Amino acid sequence: MSPAGYADLAKYMMVSPRARHLREVADSVLDYSLMDEYRKAKEAYSEAGQVAFLISCFALAEWAQQELGIEPGLCSGASFGEKVAIAYAGSLTFSDTVRLTVAMSRCEESYFRLEHQDVVTQSVARIPEESLREILADLTGRGEWSDISCFIDDDIFMVSMCEQSLEKFTAAVRATGGIPLGVMRPPMHSAAFGSLRRRMADEVLADFRFAEPRLPIISDQDGSAVVTAEAARSLLLSGITQPVNWPAALRSMRERGIAKLYVAGPDALFGRVRSAAGSFDVVTVNQRMALRPRRPLKYAERKAS
Amino acid sequence: MWDEQFERLLRSQLPFLEADEALAGDLNLREFGLDSLGIVDLLVSLEQAYGIRLLDDDLTMDTFAEPSVLWATLSRQISSAK
Repeated sequence: MSPAGYADLAKYMMVSPRARHLREVADSVLDYSLMDEYRKAKEAYSEAGQVAFLISCFALAEWAQQELGIEPGLCSGASFGEKVAIAYAGSLTFSDTVRLTVAMSRCEESYFRLEHQDVVTQSVARIPEESLREILADLTGRGEWSDISCFIDDDIFMVSMCEQSLEKFTAAVRATGGIPLGVMRPPMHSAAFGSLRRRMADEVLADFRFAEPRLPIISDQDGSAVVTAEAARSLLLSGITQPVNWPAALRSMRERGIAKLYVAGPDALFGRVRSAAGSFDVVTVNQRMALRPRRPLKYAERKAS
Repeated sequence: MWDEQFERLLRSQLPFLEADEALAGDLNLREFGLDSLGIVDLLVSLEQAYGIRLLDDDLTMDTFAEPSVLWATLSRQISSAK
């Protein structure tokens, strides 16, 4: 989930008939007006912000399928994008995915209000995995905990650790020529969050009925194909404790014969990294593209279609 | 003042800066579209273009906040590389 500007997403949700319909569906299952809450939200990953992101990605994926005439062979979504992929594959209805997004967000929020308050997730770029592992081994040697939460590209990672370790860690990264990017609070994707996973399974996911996906969902954790209802549920649960491994997901897509990626929704990362842009023809499907007036087909294009 | 090469490389990472708009020294680069991956790409292209390598305290988000700060950092490294 890329932080998206309020104005951009709000405009899209007001103007696009497809997004407006999904917003109405969301309003019917929420106990508040999405647009009102989204406007007031201060956090980039607020509950309303997550629902707005879900609507935009889902509407844009449908728009791409219908307007660009795509017949997708499979779908995938990294981190929060797992929920969008599950909705797109029809494993959950859209309204259930809204309910699930809200329920998972509230469960996470209440968990991190009391647990792991000092843990953050730091993004770092331009550092080989070997150098990163050496730095993390040094931290371990000093008795300081850390865990790789996201493998984003061959040299871009997100690492969870206690806030007090950050300064030493980022200094060590910079000494190798790597560059620390942003810090996320609360953290995400770590084996340390096993009790959150159990709570999510018992208190949230037990209430949802998943269906068999109508097309394979490629796991953002290991690149395996999710093709059953139970595997779709497990994907969301293991996403709490397993790291995202986006290069593995991309490799798997390539091995399955995929050559073109349509990245639906606001994206500043997953469709742009070298592993994606260097191996696929990447088409960014964002709200600006969908709102652009479409020119009528030329004669030759009409004939070809 | 920076050179033409710096301006060209920096502008290529600023999607919201129009071609006829001036690149002011105190321009907020993030507001004009320099995001995290843009910073990484810009860093690599600047290092290659000037034959330098930034390390340690130069590799913070502050270095990439404004053109003047970024150029001052590069200039220091270019001088010490000579």
